[in-house]
Amino acid sequence: MRFGSAIVILLALNILALILSLGVGSGGYGYLFDVISGNADETAMKIVLDYRLPRYLVAIIAGASLSASGTAMQALFRNPLAEPYVLGVASGASVGAALSVALSMETIYSRIGLAFFSALLTAYVVYLIGSSSKFRDQTYAILLAGVAIASFFSGLTSVLIYFSAQSMHKVVFWLMGSFSNPFFEEVLFALPITIAGLAYLLFTSWNLNALLLGDEHAAAVGINVERFRKSLIAVVALLTSTTVAISGVIGFVGIIVPHTMRILVGEEHQKLLPSTILLSTAFMPVIDVVARISTSGELPIGAITAMLGGPFFLYLLMRRSV
Amino acid sequence: MRLVVKGVTVTLGSRDVLKDVTFEVGEGELLALLGPNGSGKTTMLRTIFGVLKPLRGVVLLDGKEIGSVEEAARKLGFLPQDTPLANLRVIDIVMLGRTPYLSGLKRPGEDDYRAAMEALKEVGMENMADRIFSELSGGERQKVMLARVFAQQPEVMLLDEPTAHLDIAAQIEIMEIVKSKVEEGKAAIVAIHDINLASSFATRILMVKDGKVVYAGRPEDVINEESIRNVFGADVVVRRYGRGVYIAPKLKVPNGLKRVHVICGGGSGREILHMLRDAGYKVSAGVVNVLDSDWEVAVELGEVIDEAPFSPISDSSHRKNIEVIENSDAVVLADLSFGMGNFKNLQAAMYAAKLNKLVVVDKTPFKERNFVGKEAEKLYREILERAVVVKREKEVLDAVRKLLG
Repeated sequence: MRFGSAIVILLALNILALILSLGVGSGGYGYLFDVISGNADETAMKIVLDYRLPRYLVAIIAGASLSASGTAMQALFRNPLAEPYVLGVASGASVGAALSVALSMETIYSRIGLAFFSALLTAYVVYLIGSSSKFRDQTYAILLAGVAIASFFSGLTSVLIYFSAQSMHKVVFWLMGSFSNPFFEEVLFALPITIAGLAYLLFTSWNLNALLLGDEHAAAVGINVERFRKSLIAVVALLTSTTVAISGVIGFVGIIVPHTMRILVGEEHQKLLPSTILLSTAFMPVIDVVARISTSGELPIGAITAMLGGPFFLYLLMRRSV
Repeated sequence: MRLVVKGVTVTLGSRDVLKDVTFEVGEGELLALLGPNGSGKTTMLRTIFGVLKPLRGVVLLDGKEIGSVEEAARKLGFLPQDTPLANLRVIDIVMLGRTPYLSGLKRPGEDDYRAAMEALKEVGMENMADRIFSELSGGERQKVMLARVFAQQPEVMLLDEPTAHLDIAAQIEIMEIVKSKVEEGKAAIVAIHDINLASSFATRILMVKDGKVVYAGRPEDVINEESIRNVFGADVVVRRYGRGVYIAPKLKVPNGLKRVHVICGGGSGREILHMLRDAGYKVSAGVVNVLDSDWEVAVELGEVIDEAPFSPISDSSHRKNIEVIENSDAVVLADLSFGMGNFKNLQAAMYAAKLNKLVVVDKTPFKERNFVGKEAEKLYREILERAVVVKREKEVLDAVRKLLG
C-alpha cells in the first residue's frame, strides 16, 4: 500500500473512532450532536465532555504510546515478538499498584503515583543489570533481565494480592487494563509525556532503521549506538510507565498494531512509526467502545486485546514459517 | 591519503588481542588481513574504525586521529561480518550510508538519494532498489552492503570477511567490485581467511597470528608452504598460477615408510598413486604437466615434479626427476603415451631400471602409445628386460611389495 493513501485511510478511521467513542452509550449520538451544535443540556455536556472525552483521550494515549514503544522495542531487540513491557514496566507497575492497596493508600493519585514510579524504577534496574559489562551482547542481556525481573515481580504481586484479598479486586481489575472513570488530571499528567516521547521516537526513526541491521552496522554509519540505546530505553520506559499507571496493563497492542502496519507499509520506520501511531489511535477507542457496550458492566480492555492477540500471534507465526 | 596504524595493542578482558601492530595503507592499495579464526583480524578492523580503543598506539588518517563516530563513518567504510536479515527495502539500507552526512532531523535530500543510487549502480544492483533485503540471495545482500559502504563515500574501506558464506562466483564478484573501487583511488583493508582469494586480489598481504603481524608483503612473496604452516598450522601444497595460488592439503603419511615414485601422465598414474598411497607408501610423481589429471592427484597425495602446462620436459625438471628416483625405494612406470615432449620420462625410467627398482605397467601395446619412433621402442624394450613387468595397474602393489622385500 502506498504510504500516502495509507495515511488518508488511517485519518478517516481516526475520525470514525472519535465519533464512535463520543457517541456510543446512553443518550446515544444525540448528546454528541447537541454538544457540537451548542444546545446541549448539562447532562449531555457532562457525559460527552467530562466522561467520554477523557476516556477517548486516555485510550489514544495508551494506544499510541504502547504501539510506538512496541515498534521501537522490536527494532532495538531485532525481535518481532518484543513488546513495550520487555523492560519490566508492567510487572513493576503492578507491584506499585498492589502495594498502594495493601498499604491502604486508597486515593487514585497514590495508586497512579506508586505504579508510575515503581514501573520506572523497574525499567531502570532491568537496564542496569542488562548493561553490565559482564555481558557480551547487552541488548540480549536487557531482554533476559526484563524477563527475570518481570517473573519475580508478578510473583510478588500475587503474594500482595493474597494477603489483602478483600480490597484487591480493584487491583486485579486494574491489572487487566481499563479506561473507565478517567480523571482529567490523568490526561493532563500523561498527555505531555506522551507527546514528547512520541516526538522523540518519530525524530529518531531513521536510527531505528539502522538498528535493524545490528549494532555494529549502526555504528558503521556513524550512529552512537550506546547513547541511542540508552535514550531509546529511557523514552520507552517513560511512555509505558505513564500508560500503565493510568490505564493498567494492556497487552498485545504493542505487537498487533506495529505488525499490521509492517505488512501494509513495510519496515521503514519513517513510514512505519507514524502509521502505527495512527492505527492505534483509531483501534484503541474502538476496543474501548466494545468493552463498554458488550456487557451490562464492562469487559477489561486487556482481556479483549489478549483475545485478539493470541490468534494474531499464531497468524504471525504461520506467516513467518512459510 | 594515508592510513597509519602504529604500535597498536588492544586488550579485551585480560587478553592481548592485538600486540604492537604497525602498518600503513594508501591510495590504490588492497590490503588483505589473512589469518585463522580468532587471530585478531576483526579486532584490527574495529580498532581502526574506532569501536575499540587501543591500550597503546594510534590510528592516524593523514596524520590525524579520527574523532567522532560520525567523522569515522565519513572517512572509513566499515562493513561488519554478518548482517541480520532485515525486511527493509534495498534502497532504505543503502540510504543508511548517507547517515553521517545528514543533519539533526535526518531528512535525506535529492543529493543523498542520487549518491545512494550511484552506489547501487556501482555494484550492479540499480534495478533492485525496491526489493526487500531479506529476500535476496547471499551474494546480492553482500553487494547491497557494499553499496551502503560506497554511499558513505569513504577513503578507506574496512571489510570484515566480505566473502564468507558466499559461493565462488559471488566471492569473485564481490572482490572484483572492491578491487575496481580501490583502483579509483581508494584503499581497502579486507579481513579474509581464504588464501586463494587474498593472493588473487590483494596488492599486499598481512598474515596475522595471535594478534601479531607475522608476515607482510606482496602475495607472491609471503604465501608459501612455510608461512601457511606457521600462521594457519596447516600442512599444504602451494602451487602458483600467475598471481593466484592453488592450495591443497598435504595428507599425512605414517612415518618411516618407503617412498615410491610414479612416472606417469594423462591419467595413467591415478589408480596407481591412490593404491600405493592407501597402502601407506609415501608417493611422488613426475614429470607431469601442471593441470594434467595426474598432476592434480599427485598434488593431493604427495610430492610432484611438474612442468608448465603443455610444455616439454625441461632439463632441470628431468634432473629433479632423476634425483627423486635416486631417493625412492621403488619406481613405477605407468601405462602412459610418449611423445617428444615427455621422452625424457622414458629415459628416467631407464635410469630407475638400471638401479633395479623399476616396475613397469605394460598394458597397452607400446606401439599404440609411442609417438616418438624407433628410438623409443628400442629404449622401452631394454627397460622391459631390466624391470619387473606387470600387465595391469592392480598388480602394481604386489610387484612393489615383492621388489621391496
